Amino acid sequence: MSETTASIDTITVHAGELDAAITGIEDRLAAWAADTGTALAALSGKVTGTAVDKLIRPVVEELVRTPDGYVAGAGFLANAGLLGPERSYIAWWQGEELEHVDALANFSPNSISRYVKSEWFRVPVETGQPHVTGPYVDFLCTDEYVLTFTHPVFCRADGPVVGIVGMDVTVQRLERGAMAALRRIGERATLVNPDGRAIVSAAPDIAAGDLAAAADGCSVHPVGRKFRIWSEATAL
Amino acid sequence: MLLTPQSASRSLAAVFTPIKSRGLVDEVCGRIEQAVETGLLTSGQRLPNETELAAALGVSAVTAREALSQLRTAGIIRTARGRSGGSFIADNVLPSRERALDQLRDLTRLQISDLGLHYQAIAAACAGVAARRSDAADVATLRSFIPTAEADPLHWRLALSEFLLEVAAIARSARLARELIRLQADLGTLTLLPCADAGYRTTTTGLLLDVAAAIEAREPAAAETAVKALVAATTDWLLTEQSKRY
Repeated sequence: MSETTASIDTITVHAGELDAAITGIEDRLAAWAADTGTALAALSGKVTGTAVDKLIRPVVEELVRTPDGYVAGAGFLANAGLLGPERSYIAWWQGEELEHVDALANFSPNSISRYVKSEWFRVPVETGQPHVTGPYVDFLCTDEYVLTFTHPVFCRADGPVVGIVGMDVTVQRLERGAMAALRRIGERATLVNPDGRAIVSAAPDIAAGDLAAAADGCSVHPVGRKFRIWSEATAL
Repeated sequence: MLLTPQSASRSLAAVFTPIKSRGLVDEVCGRIEQAVETGLLTSGQRLPNETELAAALGVSAVTAREALSQLRTAGIIRTARGRSGGSFIADNVLPSRERALDQLRDLTRLQISDLGLHYQAIAAACAGVAARRSDAADVATLRSFIPTAEADPLHWRLALSEFLLEVAAIARSARLARELIRLQADLGTLTLLPCADAGYRTTTTGLLLDVAAAIEAREPAAAETAVKALVAATTDWLLTEQSKRY
């Protein structure tokens, strides 16, 4: 064991804290996706933007106003077909003041074209599975360095993906929550995404966004569905 | 061909975020103009009424009404009365050479060269960091923004701005990306002018390939040099054009 790394019991405890935080976000999102699908299926007649807003906004309000919560913004994005053939519909808000994001796009008849290429929309729609995008600079909503957790919404178990629900978590907020645990794991402990890109690192020479490598013999701990903690990382 | 909104999503992005700052009427107008330039709103399309527009952008109905009035005066929208009435995006509203020339005439050489220096500094910082942080997917996306030499000036202008925004995205710095967006807004439609010149397009294609190659090869110094040359190609073209006035 390297002297800069804590005992494996200590590591397991602190890696577990971070895993619980991220898994909590993922579970909350999955539950929201299920509720949204049920509520959309229960809407009688044509689905309208107003009805979607009414369904989504109260949940976003609760998420972004949770004290010490990780969620900076959240919402729903309709897949083509729910409101119209080429039409999407974005019901997304951010910040404590609930800024309505990208709402003017809802007036464009070809608004779906605006989102189809985005990883956070495309992957859950194509695979029918939840996804995490990033960390990346989010030009559409926050203009910050973020992780976007997205989950497909189904009205029927065997039906098409009618849209996605998602939550933006800024790397800045995650760092505040994760840094203490990482420091206790090791001086060079690093939270990475599946590409090996650092999200938060205790090492001074590894910044968020840098590609890093696991040091030989370091321990690896899963954090949520996609992320890992390396007890010791090296800069590339 | 115009870039479709999906490939231009980032330059559009700033367009639709709620507005809080001063100059609200100008901001609303600017965003609608940008939405038209990037193809999200097209000629003949009906605009939301002032109540809907106000709600969508988080401004007051008064601000929305003033913005619609200003857009009408500028010829960007036209208003029809009656049952099928409302505000519509006018025909021939895309950024024109005439508007760009007007903008160039308002600028001094000092303003152009100083803006060029600022743009070079930010773009070079982005390119240097991007060369350290890029992965294979990043480089593939970056190359997808390199336009063909035959593409029309409007397409070229959008593609160039998207290419540099992608360099900022690869650098993964929110501050540098925001600064780059601000600089591109300052340049406005000016960049349409060199894009109409075949010689400029040929030179620029080579420079875009150089930037992408240096980022792919993870050579920060080469990436910085290439991106500075790319910005200089634009500033030099504009300075040459501007000097013809005298």
